[in-house]
Amino acid sequence: MAGAHVAQAQLSVRDLTVRFPTGRGTVQAVNGVTFDLARGASLGIVGESGSGKSVTAKTLMNLLPRTAEVSGDVIFEGEDVRQLAEQGREHFWGVKMTMVFQDPMTSLNPVKKCGEQIAETLRYHLKRAKKTALAEAEDLLAQVGIPEPGKRVDQYPHELSGGLRQRVVIAMALACEPSLLIADEPTTAVDVTVQKHLLDLLDTLRRDRGMSMILITHDLGVARGRCDEIAVMYAGRLVERAAPQTLFGDSRHPYTDALLRSIPRIDQPSHTRLEPIPGRPPELINPPEQCAYAPRCRFAQADCLESIPQISGVAGMHEFACFHPANTDRGREALAANLALGRTAAGLEITGSGGSS
Amino acid sequence: MAGSGHAPLREDLDVLLSVRDLEVEFPVGKGAVVHAVSSISFDVAEGETLGIVGESGCGKSTVAKSIIRLNDIKGGTVDYQGHDLARLKGEELRRLRPDLQMIFQDPISSLNPRRKIRQVISEGLAVWGAERGSWSQSRIEELMLSVGIDPKFGDRRAHQFSGGQCQRIGIARALALDPKVLICDEPVSALDVSVQAQVLNLLEDMKKRYGLTLLFISHDLSVVKNVSDRIIVMYLGKACEIGNANELYEHPRHPYTRALLAAVPEPAPTVDVSEGDISGELPSPINPPVGCRFNTRCSHATEVCFTEEPAMQRVGDSDHYFACHHPVAVSINA
Repeated sequence: MAGAHVAQAQLSVRDLTVRFPTGRGTVQAVNGVTFDLARGASLGIVGESGSGKSVTAKTLMNLLPRTAEVSGDVIFEGEDVRQLAEQGREHFWGVKMTMVFQDPMTSLNPVKKCGEQIAETLRYHLKRAKKTALAEAEDLLAQVGIPEPGKRVDQYPHELSGGLRQRVVIAMALACEPSLLIADEPTTAVDVTVQKHLLDLLDTLRRDRGMSMILITHDLGVARGRCDEIAVMYAGRLVERAAPQTLFGDSRHPYTDALLRSIPRIDQPSHTRLEPIPGRPPELINPPEQCAYAPRCRFAQADCLESIPQISGVAGMHEFACFHPANTDRGREALAANLALGRTAAGLEITGSGGSS
Repeated sequence: MAGSGHAPLREDLDVLLSVRDLEVEFPVGKGAVVHAVSSISFDVAEGETLGIVGESGCGKSTVAKSIIRLNDIKGGTVDYQGHDLARLKGEELRRLRPDLQMIFQDPISSLNPRRKIRQVISEGLAVWGAERGSWSQSRIEELMLSVGIDPKFGDRRAHQFSGGQCQRIGIARALALDPKVLICDEPVSALDVSVQAQVLNLLEDMKKRYGLTLLFISHDLSVVKNVSDRIIVMYLGKACEIGNANELYEHPRHPYTRALLAAVPEPAPTVDVSEGDISGELPSPINPPVGCRFNTRCSHATEVCFTEEPAMQRVGDSDHYFACHHPVAVSINA
């Protein structure tokens, strides 16, 4: 099963590690991230700011600054993506693998008409003639659901609403018919009703074109309905990966578990007391050799402070990186022991209320 | 979408803040004006949390800023304990302002980067002196402790704290003058999800501890529901629905409210997702649609919606009001 899964993978990321040297020390932004993405599948990467989700995406897109120290393998359709840059293959990114960013206003050129910007992509990568490219651009605007595409090609980004601008960015990313689209917080800057339309659009386009997608978001709800699989990142590590139903219904990593409990839910009555996660995400400069979540974790035991749990489990099914996983006997024992003591091995004071059962 | 009329104003309660026919316009040159808020009426009872929800550009922040006079009011009244905040000027306004404090969306940029946070928190007390509680080191330390900031960090500056901590400091600053009303404009939108719950719980605790009345503005429907007793849904400068938080989410009567609820990535279980879609773009607030302002995007719209502005009407004898000619039917099985 696991072998078959790997063989079908379109994108294979192995032990990806990214470090940024700074004046204060080396930032360990991404630590040993490993995952596969099957052709036509969608993967959600969920995490807070600083969790490494965007750095992972930028590594795939070869967008990291030169100072970044990268190791590990990124294999896409049999090609070593990290070597492509050295070989000068600039037509790989933007053609086979493209990206949509969070803020459409800053990813569009403010002094160029929308149509021209899309046409530019086609002319640069696919060497289309100017006229053909412009006609194709109009067609693409129609495909992403922009009303009156004939009029919009001649408009500048500031003349469009935020939702329409993001559609233009999506049209641009789709221009060369990529086989993988990376969307980094594509709907964070827009309102909920627009968000729904954009996510619906990405869904439809992905299915129609048999394209794969990596959706990066901080919003668990966004990833839930739109992805075949969700990967949760914390402090530069992948801590849990599962299908949405499993992740939301039977999470294993205490961070995922706590995150789901801390978010206000629309189906809870008002004034429901939230269960916050104590503390805050760790510094990524010189982190200690321990589970990065241990200082905030209600389950933490002595072994959590001695080594870093590696992600394990059945690839493609449910993987997690924890010694005392939530919703298991081992986890329940750890929590019961901590509750009896009133504190965890990391010194966090805990009480009976809240936390995982 | 209308929402004119005084139906939602309550008389039988201990009302602390009562807004009547509030109108705010901003000139944008060449004689054009943005109709940011058009004839909104609502009230807030003492000790209540009123949530204001709506998409960007609906006027929710303008309503909040008008109440503490951060922008000019064109028409209407804002009654606070017998004073009309909309008309007050000079010293009279200055004397009332400490009663109404605000916390903002971006916690870091709302703190002066050059000041020690002890100074940031105590500035209001230094200005008001004995009139609003005495300025003392122990008072500042008590405030810091109550929001969960260790007083030993009092000499640090804003950039040395995380976003969540800065928001706590902003809350401590707002509480320093012992206000009656706390206006929170998107207070958790800039925070990481794991920190949001800490700040939301802190606001609830502070509300109880200091007997505050809260006005809570957010675009996040789940967050608003969690903190609010009552909620106003706004669209293009008008209120379209006002009601008890649980009731409003369970039985939305305005098509726009239903559309909003259906668009939440994890929609409310009782909302019919298939029917709740809205299409098209938000019309310009410079030339808002005549009649119901939601008519350009509403699937229920008929002729009357383009000619006549619907007035606020009450659902039975409940605390639930909506402004729509063709309200969403209440599902019986729900």
